Amino acid sequence: MTTDMRGLYVHIPFCVRKCRYCDFCSGTPTDDAIDRYIDSLEAECRLYYKDARPSVDTVFFGGGTPSILSKEQFSRVYRIIESTFDLSCVSELTVEVNPGTVTREKAELYRRLGINRISIGLQSIHENELKMLGRIHSYSDFLSTYRLFSELGFENISVDLMYGIPEQTKDSFRQTLRSVIALSPEHISAYGLIVEPGTPFFEMRESLPLPNEDTERDMYDLACAMLAEAGYSHYEISNYARPGAECKHNLKYWRCEEYIGIGAAAHSYYLGTRLENSCDVPNYKRVQSIDISFEDAAYEYAMMRLRLREGICLSEYRERFGVDFILGKEKILSEYERMGLLVLEDDRLCLSEEGFYLSNSVLVSIL
Amino acid sequence: MENKQQKIRNFSIIAHIDHGKSTLADRILEKTRTVATRDMEEQILDNMELERERGITIKARAVRLNYTAKDGREYYFNLIDTPGHVDFGYEVSRSLQACEGALLVVDATQGVEAQTLANAYLAIDNDLEILPVINKIDLASADIEGARREIEDIIGIPAEDCPAVSAKCGINIEDVLEKIVTDIPAPGGNADAPLKALIFDSHYDSYLGVVVYIRVFDGRVRAGDRIRLMAKGTEFEVIEVGTMEPFGLSRADELSAGEVGYITASIKTVGDTRVGDTVTTAENGADEALPGFRDVHPMVYSGIYPADGARYGDLREALEKLQLNDASLVFEPETSVALGFGFRCGFLGLLHMEIIEERLEREFNLDLITTAPSVIYKVKLKNGETVMIDNPSAFPSPDEIDTSYEPIMKATIITPTDYVGGIMDLCQERRGVFIDMKYLDTTRVELHYELPLNEIIYDFFDALKSRSKGYASLDYELKGYEPSRLVKLDFLLNGEVVDALSFIVFEDRAYSRARRIAEKLKENIPRQLFEIPIQAAIGSKIIARETVKAMRKDVLAKCYGGDITRKKKLLEKQKEGKKKMRKLGSVEVTPEAFMAVLRLDDDN
Repeated sequence: MTTDMRGLYVHIPFCVRKCRYCDFCSGTPTDDAIDRYIDSLEAECRLYYKDARPSVDTVFFGGGTPSILSKEQFSRVYRIIESTFDLSCVSELTVEVNPGTVTREKAELYRRLGINRISIGLQSIHENELKMLGRIHSYSDFLSTYRLFSELGFENISVDLMYGIPEQTKDSFRQTLRSVIALSPEHISAYGLIVEPGTPFFEMRESLPLPNEDTERDMYDLACAMLAEAGYSHYEISNYARPGAECKHNLKYWRCEEYIGIGAAAHSYYLGTRLENSCDVPNYKRVQSIDISFEDAAYEYAMMRLRLREGICLSEYRERFGVDFILGKEKILSEYERMGLLVLEDDRLCLSEEGFYLSNSVLVSIL
Repeated sequence: MENKQQKIRNFSIIAHIDHGKSTLADRILEKTRTVATRDMEEQILDNMELERERGITIKARAVRLNYTAKDGREYYFNLIDTPGHVDFGYEVSRSLQACEGALLVVDATQGVEAQTLANAYLAIDNDLEILPVINKIDLASADIEGARREIEDIIGIPAEDCPAVSAKCGINIEDVLEKIVTDIPAPGGNADAPLKALIFDSHYDSYLGVVVYIRVFDGRVRAGDRIRLMAKGTEFEVIEVGTMEPFGLSRADELSAGEVGYITASIKTVGDTRVGDTVTTAENGADEALPGFRDVHPMVYSGIYPADGARYGDLREALEKLQLNDASLVFEPETSVALGFGFRCGFLGLLHMEIIEERLEREFNLDLITTAPSVIYKVKLKNGETVMIDNPSAFPSPDEIDTSYEPIMKATIITPTDYVGGIMDLCQERRGVFIDMKYLDTTRVELHYELPLNEIIYDFFDALKSRSKGYASLDYELKGYEPSRLVKLDFLLNGEVVDALSFIVFEDRAYSRARRIAEKLKENIPRQLFEIPIQAAIGSKIIARETVKAMRKDVLAKCYGGDITRKKKLLEKQKEGKKKMRKLGSVEVTPEAFMAVLRLDDDN
C-alpha cells in the first residue's frame, strides 16, 4: 500500500467548442492563451514539484481536449513534465483526444513520446445525437481517428460513450454499442448523461427530450449485458475493460491512492493533502489545500472503492482506518445483500451490477 | 339615570364579506373624532394582523364613541363589531343580541348577497332596528337604486331614505351618524332590577386575566361585586369595570342598564366565560338568564402534527396560547403511528381551521402536517350504544355498526342566474337535497339545499366560487344528524395501514376517492429501493391499488479525482434529505408529499 508511485494528471482546458453538457473547466482558446497556459504549467511545476521530483507511474493528459494542442505545444508540455517528474517507472501514458482535432502528425508525435494509451471521445455513432450534444466531430471522423491510431500501433485504445442523450433510444444506443464493440477497443467508458448546473443543457432542461429514468436504466443494463458478452469486465460503475486493460491511472482515484494534478482546476491528493487549483485560464492558482481528516478519508475510501467491482478490501480498510467497516452496519448490509444490491464475500464488500446503479441510495444508508 | 340611557346607541355593522364593513367602521371612528385621521391605522377594529391581511374580522370587538349630533346633544355610541364568516354564526348572533340596531351595509355594485341576507335575518330575529347603508357609491358600476330596490324587495325593509355612502372616500358618513341617533332606539332596561348582563366576547390579557365584554340589560355592576356566570354557576369577584375606548380600556365606577363595557374578575381562561352567557350578582341575582345561550361545539376536526417531531412541546404551547383567546378551539393529544405525537383539534369550521393553522405557522414558526378535516359522525352500535366519532381511527368496524349518521346543513346559496345550472350540478354531486329556489330579481337566484357538512368541508366553497366566477355566496347552519351510509377508508403502503391517511366517506364516494388518492400517493411517494404497493381498503376489502415502482437509477456516473469533494457533498445533502423523511412503516415520504396527498381539492 505504501508506495512512492503516484499518478500524474495534466489538465488541458481548451476545446474547439464546448459541448452542451460539459461542466468541466474548459473553453475555446483565444490568441496566445494556450502558450500562456503552458507558461503557467511550467511555473506550477517549478514552484511545487521541481525540487521534490516526485516519481509517477501513470500520466494522463485530460481536458478539455489535449489533442487541440499543436505538435510544438504538446512537445513543450511533455518536456516540462519530463524535467519535473521522475518518469522512469511510467507504465501508462494516456492522452484524451477529440476526433475532430487529431492529425497524423500529432498521432505520430504521441507515439514518439511514448504515449501508450489513447482515449477517444465518441459518445454516439448517430449524427443527431452528436449534434444534440454539441460535439464537433462526426462518426466518420471518429472512425478515421480510430484507424489512424490502430495503424500507428497503439494497442490500448479507449472509447467514451454516452447514454441518456436527448433523442437517444435504446435501439440507437444498441447500435452505438454494437459498432464500437465491432472495433474491439481495449477499454470502453459508458457514462449516463448528467445535466449539470451551469451548462447549456441545464438551462434548457425543461425542454430537453431526455430519456426517462427507466429508459436510461435499460440503457445501462444494455451496456452491461452487451459488453459482458463481448468480453469486457465491468470494473467500475461506468468503465469496462478487456482483462488487464483497466485504466491504471483512474484506478488510483477509485482506490484512494495518491495523485498529482497540474493545470487549471486540477486536484491533487498528495502527501495526504487535497490540493485544488482555480479554473482561471491561463493564470490559474492553487486555491485550496485541505488536510483530509481521518473520518473523511475513511468516508471517501468507502465511497470511491465501492465504485469498483473489487469493492472494499475489508482487511485493508481495518489496517488503514483501525476499525471494522462492517461493525454496526450488519443489519443494513445484510438487508441490501438480501435485496441483491451488495455482495459480501470473504474479505470483500462490493456493489452488485444492480447495486452500482443505485449506489447513492446504498451509500447514503451505509456511510 | 333615565337621561344617560337616552343618549346611548348600541349597534353593530353587518354585511356580506368585502362589502365594506370595516371601512365604514373606520370612517365612523374618524368622524366621531375619536381617532385623529393621521394617527389612525386602517381598520382599527380588526386588530389582528391576519384579519387585516384577509380583510375579514375574526373576533368581535367593541368600542365606545362620543358623537355630538345636529340636535346639539352628545351621544354615546357603542359599536360592536361582528365576525363576518359563516363559521362564527353563533358569535355574530350574540353580538347582535347586545345591540338595539344594526347597520346593514350593502355594496352598491353587488347588491344583496347570501351573508347580507343571513345577517339581516339574524338581526331581525334579535328584534333589531335595521338601518340599511348603501356603500361604494364612488364606484362607476354603483347602482344605488338597484341596491335600494333589492333591500326592499328581498329583505323587506324600507330603504327609501337610507344613506348612500362611500366609506372609502368618506362621502355622506354624517348621514349615517344622524340616522343612528334618530332611528336606533336607546336601550331600555331597569338599572335597579337585579343584574342581567350578556357576555358577547372576551379576550385574555396577560396582566388582567380574562377581560369579559358585556352588555348590561338590567341592574348595575361595579368593582368588588360578587358575580355569578349563570350557565355554569361559577362565581367571581369583580376587580374592575369600564368601557372600551378606541385605544384601550378605560376604568369606570360602574356599568348600568343599557351600557356596554368590560369587567375583569381574575378569570383565568376564556373558556370560563362563554359567549351568550348571562352575568348576574351572586346574591339577589336574576332568576332567569337571557335567552339564546348555546354551548358552542366544534364542527370540524383535524389532526395537527409538527413536521419536526421534536417540536411537539412548542406546538402544545402555541395551541394553549391561541386557546387563551379562542374558547372555540379545542384540542387533545393524539398519537399517530405515521406522524408521531400531535393533537386532535376541533374547529367551528373550515375557515376557523385555516386561521388557526396559519397562525400556528406564522406566529409560532411551526411547520405542520395536518390530516384531512373530518366532521363529527354519530354511530349507533348494534349493542345499542351511540358514539360520536371525530377521528377516523375511532370509527367502529362495519359489523359493529347498526346505523351511522352524519351532520346535514341547511345551505343558502345566492348566485347570478347564469351559474344556477353549474351550482345545482355541484350540489347534486355533493349529495345535496334541493329544497327550493327563489328568484330575488331577474338576475339573481336564492337556492336552498340540504348538504352534508362532510361535503361542504371538502372544498365546496372553492368549487362554488370557481363555478360562479366568484359571484355565488354561501351561508349554512346545522339542520341535524341524518342516517347515512358511511365507511372508513384506509390506505396501506407496503401492506401496512397508514393511520394518518384514513378518513370517513360516504360509501358511494369511496371508490372514486380511493382511486384518486392512491394515484396521488403514487405521484408523490419517491421511488425507493423496493417496489411499494399502495392499497385502499374498506375493512379488509381492497378497492384500489397502485404501485410505486422500485427506483432504478441513483448513481454518480462520473467520479474522478476532481469530483470527490463535490460528490461527497452531494451524498451528504441526500442524507440530510433522507433524515427529513417520514417513515410510514418501511416507506419513506417527505412531509411535503404527505401534505400534497392530504390537500383537498376539487379533483380528489
